[in-house]
Amino acid sequence: MKRRNFLKNTALGAAAITAPFILPSGRLFAATGSRMADHVVFVAFAGGVRQQESILQRYLDDSQDYPSAGNIMYNMFDGAPPTDKIVYGTDGIISGDTPIPKLLSQTLQQQGTLFKEVNASTVGHYAGVNTLLTGNYLYSQGLRMKPSMPTIFEYLRRHQGVKATKTWFIGNGIGNSLPLLDYSLHPDYGSQFGANFLAPTITFGDDGEKHLKNAKIYHPEDELDPMYKMKYFLDNVWYSQGKPLPNIGNTEEEKAEIKQFVKDMFEKKENGTIVHPPVGGNRDGQTIGYACEVLKRFRPTFSVVYLSSVDACHSDFSGYLKSLHATDHAVGHLWDYIQNNIPEMANNTTLIVSPEHGRNLESNNIVDANAFTGFDHSDANSRRIFNMVIGPGVDSNLTIGNENNQIGDIVNITPTIAEILGFKNEMMGAGLTASNNSLFDLI
Amino acid sequence: MKKITLLFFCLSVLATSCKKDDIIYDVNQVNATSYNANKNKLKTISQYISILYANLFQKALSANELVEITNCIESIGDKEVAHEIILSNFMNKSAVTMPSDSLMRTDVNAFIEQTYKRFYVRDLTEAEREFFLFFFASHPDVSVEMVYSAFSLSNEYQFY
Repeated sequence: MKRRNFLKNTALGAAAITAPFILPSGRLFAATGSRMADHVVFVAFAGGVRQQESILQRYLDDSQDYPSAGNIMYNMFDGAPPTDKIVYGTDGIISGDTPIPKLLSQTLQQQGTLFKEVNASTVGHYAGVNTLLTGNYLYSQGLRMKPSMPTIFEYLRRHQGVKATKTWFIGNGIGNSLPLLDYSLHPDYGSQFGANFLAPTITFGDDGEKHLKNAKIYHPEDELDPMYKMKYFLDNVWYSQGKPLPNIGNTEEEKAEIKQFVKDMFEKKENGTIVHPPVGGNRDGQTIGYACEVLKRFRPTFSVVYLSSVDACHSDFSGYLKSLHATDHAVGHLWDYIQNNIPEMANNTTLIVSPEHGRNLESNNIVDANAFTGFDHSDANSRRIFNMVIGPGVDSNLTIGNENNQIGDIVNITPTIAEILGFKNEMMGAGLTASNNSLFDLI
Repeated sequence: MKKITLLFFCLSVLATSCKKDDIIYDVNQVNATSYNANKNKLKTISQYISILYANLFQKALSANELVEITNCIESIGDKEVAHEIILSNFMNKSAVTMPSDSLMRTDVNAFIEQTYKRFYVRDLTEAEREFFLFFFASHPDVSVEMVYSAFSLSNEYQFY
């Protein structure tokens, strides 16, 4: 096992020369774990993905009683595409008849470890992503509440002293209470360890064009400095009343960097130079394009990219197939961009891909333009997902589990991220996650 | 019967006994809004934007724009950053109603008092007055826009 060799080779050295450093809180801290990579990008391939059309590659065969099987996610998985009834591509002569050319010369499956059959017990979008980020099944969690258990962002920032702009949560919208998942309400963690959330399709979309684009960039010394001095005075008076506001702890320099980033993105958008995926422009693709820009600018230690266009499956199965295909292309683009355009992250980044839950075995009664029926998410089939991990120290071309042998659970993902970034012991020490096992522990 | 009459008499005397007047010292009475004005509720994003817009433009924000701006703020996690960007967009519009810098400098005392009323809906304390008088004296280039921005972005302004 590559990982075992890695751990063996680094354990002694790490124990001997673990370098202490000072956390923002002033506490002396010594990292206890070795990192497998300095960056993790976690793609929540969310919105509810059926195993049948993704990893099992059954296309229309297992959903619409039409005998056409094949792989429509050929940047992620090995397998030949369908040859009959092509509706998953971009629009050519008829809707969806033009598949997007394969982007990666080697599939992500070949480059990493695939967990083919994983359990995901929460089948709602918010609850599912909440589980992905906290490593807990928060069944009693309300939809409009911040997580009660710490998010992976908070573990990372608290236990490794990582800056706010080194953790990003990039969502493809603001629905389903998604912005609430940037930090939890847990008393030992909380906002000061939260991530920078960004929903770029809103920020740089029509609303942003109207209300954010014309922002002034004030002069840092002549204008911002006196403005902030007055604000700090006013805030100090207010703090004396014991009414602080949640704050994710961006420094003034980090805030200035974010404001400049926003300004630059509007310019790049106007010039048509945002690094979107080569083909297609669905919401997920747009989100991935801006995610690439965030990675390039901030080189985060940890970032989550949340996608959910496939949720169209409730009422538009053809749209769902198109979204699976386009988002596979977008994820391939993201990985390709990291490896070829961000030198600091190339060969030093681990990519994790996981849906937040699956979708039903039986269809509902809603029929789309191709007379295909849609699928909701509530039954046992909705609790089936795949996981994939690609990066330094991770076995390549390894498949774990199969349809008849479920190995892994969605709550194993946060320990996996912690293990890659070297703070698994601290996270387990907090005793707040449902499982102590990373996906690596299950190999 | 005598006892009942006596009891009735005593109760009547108690009920009509004299009431002590409130002491009024030899100064004018002033109705002052209390320090921090008992603000303990955090404004929602929509409330914050509506009030900010009304403060700056002296008119109400349209319902459509309220939804759009609320979306923009929700799309950026660091609310301080989001508010700053929205505010500086507002400040780029010509319809913002604020006094000129020269008018501010003419009577700094009155300007500070009005600004506290306008944004915080309360009177300022003497300590706050002293701070701003000193600050304006030591920062001759401070503009009304900077002062209004500082108040708009301050934490007290997030509460009502």
